[in-house]
Amino acid sequence: MSDKNISKKIKIEDVTSLPLELESQQKASKEKIGSVTEGKLTLYDRQKRNVERFHELLRKKMTRQLASSMVACVHCGMCAESCHYCLSRPDDPQMTPVYKADQIRRIFKKHIDWTGRVFPKWVKAGSPVTDEDLNHLKNIVFGTCSACRRCTFNCPMGVDTALLIRFARGILTDLGIVPEGVFNVSRDQWETGNQMAVTEEDYLETLDWMKEELQEELDNPDIDIPIDTEDCDFMYTINPREIKFDPRSISHAAKIFHFADEKWTMPKWGWDQTNFGLFSGDDKLGAYVAKNVYEAAERLRAKRIVISECGHGYRSTRWEGYNWAEYDQNIPAESVILTLMRYIQNGRIKVNPAKNSEPVTFHDSCNIARSGGLLEEPRWVLNKVCSDYREMSPNRRENFCCAGGGGLLSMAEYKPLRMEVAKIKADQLKATGAKLVCTICHNCVDGLTDLIKHYDLDMKVVQVLELVSHALVV
Amino acid sequence: MSDILYFLENKVQIVALSFLLFVYILRIFWLFRFKSRKEQSYSEGNATACIAHSMLNVAMPWAMESIRKKPFFYIQFILFHMGVIFAIAATFIIPYGPQLFNIQAVVWIFQFIVGMAFIVGMFRLYRRFANPSIRLISSRDDYFSLILMIFYFGVAFLAIPNNYHRSEWPLILFFALTAFFLIYVPFSKIGHYLYYPFTRFFLGRTMGHRGVYAKRKKCRYPEGL
Ligand code: SF4
Ligand code: SF4
Repeated sequence: MSDKNISKKIKIEDVTSLPLELESQQKASKEKIGSVTEGKLTLYDRQKRNVERFHELLRKKMTRQLASSMVACVHCGMCAESCHYCLSRPDDPQMTPVYKADQIRRIFKKHIDWTGRVFPKWVKAGSPVTDEDLNHLKNIVFGTCSACRRCTFNCPMGVDTALLIRFARGILTDLGIVPEGVFNVSRDQWETGNQMAVTEEDYLETLDWMKEELQEELDNPDIDIPIDTEDCDFMYTINPREIKFDPRSISHAAKIFHFADEKWTMPKWGWDQTNFGLFSGDDKLGAYVAKNVYEAAERLRAKRIVISECGHGYRSTRWEGYNWAEYDQNIPAESVILTLMRYIQNGRIKVNPAKNSEPVTFHDSCNIARSGGLLEEPRWVLNKVCSDYREMSPNRRENFCCAGGGGLLSMAEYKPLRMEVAKIKADQLKATGAKLVCTICHNCVDGLTDLIKHYDLDMKVVQVLELVSHALVV
Repeated sequence: MSDILYFLENKVQIVALSFLLFVYILRIFWLFRFKSRKEQSYSEGNATACIAHSMLNVAMPWAMESIRKKPFFYIQFILFHMGVIFAIAATFIIPYGPQLFNIQAVVWIFQFIVGMAFIVGMFRLYRRFANPSIRLISSRDDYFSLILMIFYFGVAFLAIPNNYHRSEWPLILFFALTAFFLIYVPFSKIGHYLYYPFTRFFLGRTMGHRGVYAKRKKCRYPEGL
């Protein structure tokens, strides 16, 4: 591996002391944007008793799941070597999952648990005192963890450290003590219903553009990307990144649906299946975005919701969103991978693996595999459409994060550390000898692309829809 | 047997045990005070099977990469916790079935196990001091609990032969320590076994519901949709 791009080790104090950037918050305040005036998005206010509010929120938001993970840790350190931060920085004791979780656990001990309230020093209970301390916590929970849940699966006690990290993020979000990127994306999703502030006009124009290209490519003027059609077999939801940066993924999907003779639609509103609430820990935002999708499907009387290739979008829309929104699922929802599987199984599309002959490996997105349960399905599809599939090691539930998970791609200030700890993933990729790394997550596409560039790997990132579309026998 | 030893072996131990039980019940009520979230999405797996899988995790060293990579830790874990079980068993055998310790082989087995637990405890203590990552997260309770356990194993080793006619001191110390333990445990990290079923249940339920483990063979959606 070439070392030319590999930066020197980051000093962890440089990360944990990063200041709270408020430019975007001040702008939002000046502009009196709806999500702020309606109280959905909190701005940081130095005058408010933020530490006290932190404690109040800690009590208010505590659940049984969280409380048991708070009290069950025995400080055995077994989780340490499961974390890519820790493995990449073995000499840095602040990188262990338990250390990170302890930064919120100590506050829980001090204010909620028994022994810590009476004998705080005995159990290392403690409390933030100033807003600076809260900012320090912000840098730990947002900047040194991608919430990949690998440590959770490697804890003998079943402590869900990633859940604790998300919980702490959520409280800080409620105080406006968040990285600027988190604020900006949350604002966009509150304001426009999608993470990238795509306007309805842009959305419809891009779909139209993709439709025209497809009609031209297949020389068939009847091909359509239907919008707001009622009573379809499914409603297709996407990641706004597809509109902004990767519209080809929509045309790949449309092409496959066309050959499968599918009755499908995309909604005019409620099309964004991604959900920044998962990353910011803001259940309100999570509920709002997920509900947009569920309600769109109801409105259109779709028989199913199909979620395009996106890790956190899949986890949010398929699993967490119903709980955040307190919404009993009434319409089936699935990843597009299952849809593709069904097409191939039922002979609705024909594929030729020889069309994808380059060696390809698969990267399991944490949110899809460890937190989503899709383990064999993508492999099944890849084995049908590629002739040289190579497994990565470790894989499935044990795969390493692309290092860009947990919303880290939107937090530029933590990028140097993210790149440093991506070394584990880079080594994993290199060992496969593959030329293509396939993933079913747009976030991982960017995370992997960053690290491929940084570590100078001879690889390209692709997605399943692209490979299936390429393998189609028409 | 002196009055003090008799008092420690019987009355004190029962009072301490009742206290432990009482605090545990309070602790469970305390945990139940926090709301629990229910799953509102359709399930794709078998949550019950996954809860069982999660609970039995402790008996499946192959299930976690962290243990597969460090099998020595698993052996340590087994020995240490066997030591706890054997030492606790001794606190019941000595007052209620002392004839068992008339069998020399039984005494040796018990002494071997608690002796090994003692050695593991020493190793763990060394690791807690020597490893910077572990040192950083360790609290006074972590050190105290571990030292207490090591001491307890040592005392149990001496008390198990139950030779009160030769010297009562190991037995007095053993039962006094047991009583202290029973009172201290619910407030310290040693009480972690009370929480294990909770964390494992929640993890198993979530992962089972999503089919991360114990996935349903058949997709729940109608074919051809
Ligand atoms: S989180 Fe689990 S593995 Fe990590 S130190 Fe705590 S109990 Fe051990
Ligand atoms: S969730 Fe992932 S990144 Fe965060 S501490 Fe655990 S293993 Fe490390």
